[in-house]
Amino acid sequence: MVLLKIAFRNIFRQRRRTLFTALSMFGGFILAAFFIGWADGTYNGIIDMFTRNRLGHIQIHEKDYLDRPSLYKTINDMSVINRTLEEVSGVESWTPRLYTAGLASLDDKTAGVQILGIDPVRENKTTSFNKKIIEGRAFSSASAAEVILGKGLAEILKAGVEDEIVVISQAADGSIANDIYRLIGITESGDEMTDRTAFYLPLEEAQKFLVLEGRVHEVAVTINNLNDVERIHRIIEEKLDNPRLSVEPWQEFARSFYMAMKADKEGMWIMLVVIIIIVAVGVLNTVLMSVLERQREYGVLRAVGTKPSQVIRIVLLEITFLALFCIVAGAIAGLLINTYFASHGLSLSNPITYGGIEIRAMRSEINTRSFFIPALIVLLSAGFVSLFPALKAARTDPARSMRFH
Amino acid sequence: MEEMNVRKIKDYIVYTEGLEKTYKDNGLEVKAVRGIDLRLKSGEFTAVVGPSGSGKTTLLNIISGLDTATRGEVWLKGRLLSKMKKRELADFRRDNIGFIFQAYNLIPVLRVEENVEYIMLLQGVNKLERHKRVLEILDEVGLQGMGNRLPPKLSGGQQQRVAIARAMVSRPALILADEPTANLDSKTGGALLDMMKELNRKTGMTFLFSTHDNIVVERARRVITLQDGKILKDEVKER
Repeated sequence: MVLLKIAFRNIFRQRRRTLFTALSMFGGFILAAFFIGWADGTYNGIIDMFTRNRLGHIQIHEKDYLDRPSLYKTINDMSVINRTLEEVSGVESWTPRLYTAGLASLDDKTAGVQILGIDPVRENKTTSFNKKIIEGRAFSSASAAEVILGKGLAEILKAGVEDEIVVISQAADGSIANDIYRLIGITESGDEMTDRTAFYLPLEEAQKFLVLEGRVHEVAVTINNLNDVERIHRIIEEKLDNPRLSVEPWQEFARSFYMAMKADKEGMWIMLVVIIIIVAVGVLNTVLMSVLERQREYGVLRAVGTKPSQVIRIVLLEITFLALFCIVAGAIAGLLINTYFASHGLSLSNPITYGGIEIRAMRSEINTRSFFIPALIVLLSAGFVSLFPALKAARTDPARSMRFH
Repeated sequence: MEEMNVRKIKDYIVYTEGLEKTYKDNGLEVKAVRGIDLRLKSGEFTAVVGPSGSGKTTLLNIISGLDTATRGEVWLKGRLLSKMKKRELADFRRDNIGFIFQAYNLIPVLRVEENVEYIMLLQGVNKLERHKRVLEILDEVGLQGMGNRLPPKLSGGQQQRVAIARAMVSRPALILADEPTANLDSKTGGALLDMMKELNRKTGMTFLFSTHDNIVVERARRVITLQDGKILKDEVKER
């Protein structure tokens, strides 16, 4: 208890020095909290936009479909999936899709296409499909003989709204599937590659075309909070409990995007190392100075029987008290800053395009790790660099430090 | 013969034999203490005097175990210091030696009471006993009612009284006082010495001073004069 008292009261002895030490810890905490909140907010914003825009946060397929896609690997009973997804809280929306490759032609222009059968109502609810239509209109029903083309594909075919497009593919029964569809709209997803091949058909029409009535290849699911992907993915998997189906989070079906994001996010640690150095240098400097100044005092403590470990405790407790105070103050200030940037964001005069997604404002995110990591950084770096001065204090030679004078 | 020696050593609080201390200063050997045999019996009130550099402080440092001798041995209360491990020596020092320094050396962030009870805390004395002893000793050194003050708010004389209280409160066998009056005016110094002499009489604790202040010399019952690290004179005054 007396060691606690000495450590606590020592904080107030050299107020200016304490202030400098506190400032480096407080500043380090705020910087780290803001930086982590900012990085998480920006990256999660990109990920959320990317997944919501096209892929969904979770996808359901027949087993192995992702590794080796095939026309025949279909989900045959959507009713169970619909019932399950309705029951899982946190699921925002879902949409079934059908995929195959084909050849589209208009007059003398021909292009390879990816035929996507989509449920017009569900797709719009899940990925805001209608908002991406830049010309023409949305599907009138799930069974209409209508097509919407990606912008790039429309350019290749030199197609305009109301043109009739011929498409050929292979149906599931082995026959040649071919039909003529009226072009009712042109869409721009933000991803050029997709837009150069995208041939959207209403789901029922696509199922009829491919002789896959009632069957789909994929169900894309969006959830309310990106951070819940892992949890909800597990719940869906458990509830479906079907070995023929595989439920994947976005990190699996968009692996290259995930790896790119992860690599970018790793860069954050370089900044955190810089912050650790700032805190460490600030603390080491002042703690070492005060230990050197109090050498005689530590000498007296040692002379009257204080153990070296107790002297170490005094020095470390002093810096721990200060660090805890700075963590609390920094958490309050960091929360205020992150709250401001989470709600207001930072508007970009020139929007950034990342993977086909345009970001107009960067926003911070408030999460536990943006406080937990800075707290650890401050506490551990301050504690670690204080070890050297603390050991020095503990090794004080009483006779030499006091010289009995 | 050896048994006789042990018995002889145990008769003394401090028993040194052939103490020598050599320092290296810029590559040059400096002999601070040269073969000192010192014996102090329980309850003595002794001053070690001598000019600066005569080895007084070094001698006290070696006796207290804060420094080690290059040659020779020290027995305190019959225990041979050189045979003790560091931790054991620290505990032994805490329990058996009280220190009074020229510069008071109080812990500035602890109040008077806390400074005085610090050693008892390390010794694990219970709270009630600590409180009782602190009040008693503060009363004896004339600091009643000042327990809540911080050392920097006290005069030099008052601070030295706190230091005396701190040194004596755990009832050690030996009090080592290094130039305790050097920072005090003669009146304050004299009063403090009278107080220590009275405490010595009442408690039977052994006092060993290092000093060149006449205030101490006049009151000491035994005066040991050092010169060039050797005992020049050892006089016991008549009562």
